[in-house]
Amino acid sequence: MSRFRRTIRENAVPFALISPAILVILIVVLLPLLFSFYTSFSNYKLIRPDTLWDWIGLRNYERIMGDWDFWVAFGRTVLFLTVALNLEMLFGLGLALLVNKITYGQRTMRTIMMFPMMFSPILVGFQFKYLFNDTIGLVNNALQALGITHEAIPFLVDRWWAFFSIAFAEIWMSTSIFAILILAGLFAMPKDPVEAAKVDGCSNWQVFRHITLPFLMPFIYIAMTIRSLDVARAYDVVDVMTGGGPAGRTELLWTLIARTAYDDARMGRANAMAYVSILLSIFFTWYFFRKLMDARKHLGAF
Amino acid sequence: MAEVSLKNVVKRYGALEVVHGIDLEIAHNEFVVLVGPSGCGKSTTLRMIAGLEDISDGEIAIGDKVVNMLPPRKRNISMVFQNYALYPHMSVRENLGFSLKIAKRAPEDITKAVDDAADILGLTELLERTPAELSGGQRQRVAMGRAIVRHPDVFLFDEPLSNLDAKLRTQMRVEIKKLHSKVKTTIVYVTHDQIEAMTLADRIVIMKDGHIVQIGTPLEVFERPVDTFVAGFIGSPPMNLIEGSVKDDHVVFSDGRSLPVPPDFTGKIANGRRVVFGFRADVLMPKGHTLAESGVLHDIDLTIDMAEPLGSESILLTTLGGQDIQARMHNPRPVTSGEVLTCELHLEKCHLFDADTTQSLRG
Amino acid sequence: MPSRTKDILIWITTFMIMLIICMPGLWIILSAFRTNGEILTKPAIWIPETLTLDNFRAIFGYGENVVGVPVASYFRNSIIISATSTFLAVFIGMTGGYAFARYRFPGKGSTFLWLMLSRTVPGIALSLPIFIIWSRMGIIDTKFGVILVYTAINVPFTIWLTEGFFRQVPQDLNEAAQIDGCTRWEAFWKIEFPLAKSGIASAGIFAFLTSWNEYALASQLTRSTDSKTLPVGLMDFTAQFTIDWAGMCAMAVIIIIPALILTFLVQKHLIAGLTFGGVKG
Repeated sequence: MSRFRRTIRENAVPFALISPAILVILIVVLLPLLFSFYTSFSNYKLIRPDTLWDWIGLRNYERIMGDWDFWVAFGRTVLFLTVALNLEMLFGLGLALLVNKITYGQRTMRTIMMFPMMFSPILVGFQFKYLFNDTIGLVNNALQALGITHEAIPFLVDRWWAFFSIAFAEIWMSTSIFAILILAGLFAMPKDPVEAAKVDGCSNWQVFRHITLPFLMPFIYIAMTIRSLDVARAYDVVDVMTGGGPAGRTELLWTLIARTAYDDARMGRANAMAYVSILLSIFFTWYFFRKLMDARKHLGAF
Repeated sequence: MAEVSLKNVVKRYGALEVVHGIDLEIAHNEFVVLVGPSGCGKSTTLRMIAGLEDISDGEIAIGDKVVNMLPPRKRNISMVFQNYALYPHMSVRENLGFSLKIAKRAPEDITKAVDDAADILGLTELLERTPAELSGGQRQRVAMGRAIVRHPDVFLFDEPLSNLDAKLRTQMRVEIKKLHSKVKTTIVYVTHDQIEAMTLADRIVIMKDGHIVQIGTPLEVFERPVDTFVAGFIGSPPMNLIEGSVKDDHVVFSDGRSLPVPPDFTGKIANGRRVVFGFRADVLMPKGHTLAESGVLHDIDLTIDMAEPLGSESILLTTLGGQDIQARMHNPRPVTSGEVLTCELHLEKCHLFDADTTQSLRG
Repeated sequence: MPSRTKDILIWITTFMIMLIICMPGLWIILSAFRTNGEILTKPAIWIPETLTLDNFRAIFGYGENVVGVPVASYFRNSIIISATSTFLAVFIGMTGGYAFARYRFPGKGSTFLWLMLSRTVPGIALSLPIFIIWSRMGIIDTKFGVILVYTAINVPFTIWLTEGFFRQVPQDLNEAAQIDGCTRWEAFWKIEFPLAKSGIASAGIFAFLTSWNEYALASQLTRSTDSKTLPVGLMDFTAQFTIDWAGMCAMAVIIIIPALILTFLVQKHLIAGLTFGGVKG
């Protein structure tokens, strides 16, 4: 006890400074999560408040483990994240290398690149819902006017087209994070190693592969880490574009949680699902954070 | 107007003790240099005098006031930092006047004090610039100006010259020395560069691993190092130190060669005792290339591995007792590698240290 | 490849990419000034015949075809909620960021990590317990309830950014100021804060945009015109039997414009903050 009090006294200033942050996170994140952890073991239904005390143990988890719709949504979410994150990284890398090559108008391009990042996800969803609309959408109108198709493409209805559309929206929204951070890496990159490699007889591709790319890796992982913090933003996009429909064809984990909780009012089960989604997010963040730490060690050589 | 006194000062970070009970008395207007390798606790000691670090035990007094619990601003000290710590968003004038402004002095007083300080340091032309527009040497001068402007009791310097190139460093060293004679204040100066210590200090405090090893004037620590650490740290090139054992007033080295013990020690060292024989390059010179000096000389033949010509003299690299050692050659001539030269060693200027305790055997 | 051809290829690729980035937004903005009739016409009319401000009048409740969506209230709510939560998040983030940048204390590393991890919780997952708890506390469907939540979700990021910006300010400036006679508090306000100011401002703008754009939590925690924000309000349009595309586009423009202006202001600092926070550790 006295040791505890001494620790407090010796660090009174920093503890006081961080306490508001801790307090607000405690109230808004930690306590609610503890509460939802409890409810995930109850049969809580929104319309019947007394069911909160209906302890059913692991049954919610057993239910979702055996729930085909859940696993489809889960698999689709993982597939969606894998496809989206990888393509965002590749496009971002390409875009950064391209902008790095340009000398005239580079600042303007960097500014333009930032805009999608600052768009509300709900707006991104809306704008692609509008563009991909099968009767009045710009894309279908253009394709038909150019004679590429005669029938409207059901971008938001067909199973695979809808997946394509939400992935497209997600990639449009988030590629800039990668592009901007990788570009910052390119700007920060020292010239000497590149020149040394050229003197040593490396081709352009070899220079990129063995010098540039390793240097950029930490920047790529920062982008991945930042990005993985808010993978769940895809909920907003999908909610406005398709609402997870039609008939569950674009259902992701997050839309399924919202439907189970608020439309079906099964809070207990939704909370069990929510925990799965939290673990998924933490896993992604943790994975890339570890990668970042490893890559940072190598960066010391530069 | 102040002495600084440290009594049994200890610094601990948690369980780790980095400064182990230092005692030090610094006289009024004295220029004291704390010197030692990095991690020896010299900067921590300085920062404890400044009040930037709490002291874990002991007592620090400035003047006749114990300042243990006083924050830096109440100690009437000023400090020059290693990276200058100039306020980047203020002009040179504002930087110099900042402490007076904080002390709520009248604007005309501030202007006058700043102008005076700028005059002393030759900063008058630069007053309206910002730190970013200054060269390294100019920033250094501003940092010193900021320190002198308020006439503190004590000046603290924390490795102030380590970011300057060699030429500027020599120049600023002279300026600091001049400054001390002009403003007459107690100065505590930290450096890891023994040349700075030797040239600047009234007294040098040599530290190692959180202890004070030796305190003395530059000549004292140079001529009478208390142990092999000081012997190796002070002076350039460092003192040659060769381990051996004593037999009949000779020190016998591992390669079988030997040297007589210095005259002071004749008959005083027991046979078989392990000792370190120490001498500086300046007291080992090839015959015909010495400075005219009298004394107890001992001739020894040495095979020269290499010569480093410095112009008016050469440093000769050779081996003795399995150790690389250095000798000095005045009025040098070209020396080929492998050449054997007969050298004279001034025995009175040699040192003996105990091989186990590393302490000097001089009483 | 001759460098001339290469240059042209680079320019064409760049142009295509910029088109993909800018086109959707520009098309929305253009549509906001067209009539619903023109948007719905088949075959499509490419060049607008008339441009009109009627859609904007309509969503703000003026003119003939008043829309049943109280955009003016939503706009006011969004401003109040975003501004207040930003102010709080910056204040809390700044004190916390300063502590992490300047002090050593036990549990520092793990506290930082946990604060950051709290940011990973998906909004929709967090909305479930908050919905229940806020209902019981009676702060559901109030601006206060949303402000509290937005403050919390912004704090980790503002701490991260401000910590980075404070770390950029050398520690010895603070010490020099203390020796020059400042208290620690004065040293902060006179030296460190002015130097980190622009970085803190960009952290604030970023927090503002996060609140301004947030949907998942707000969509569950707000129900009425007293607290609904613009992103939630946008969905009002889809609830109606026929979608008022022109009205939605006009509302989208209202949401985009502040975001674009703020992005423009913040871009330089944001990139700096994100990269040195992560790389130089």
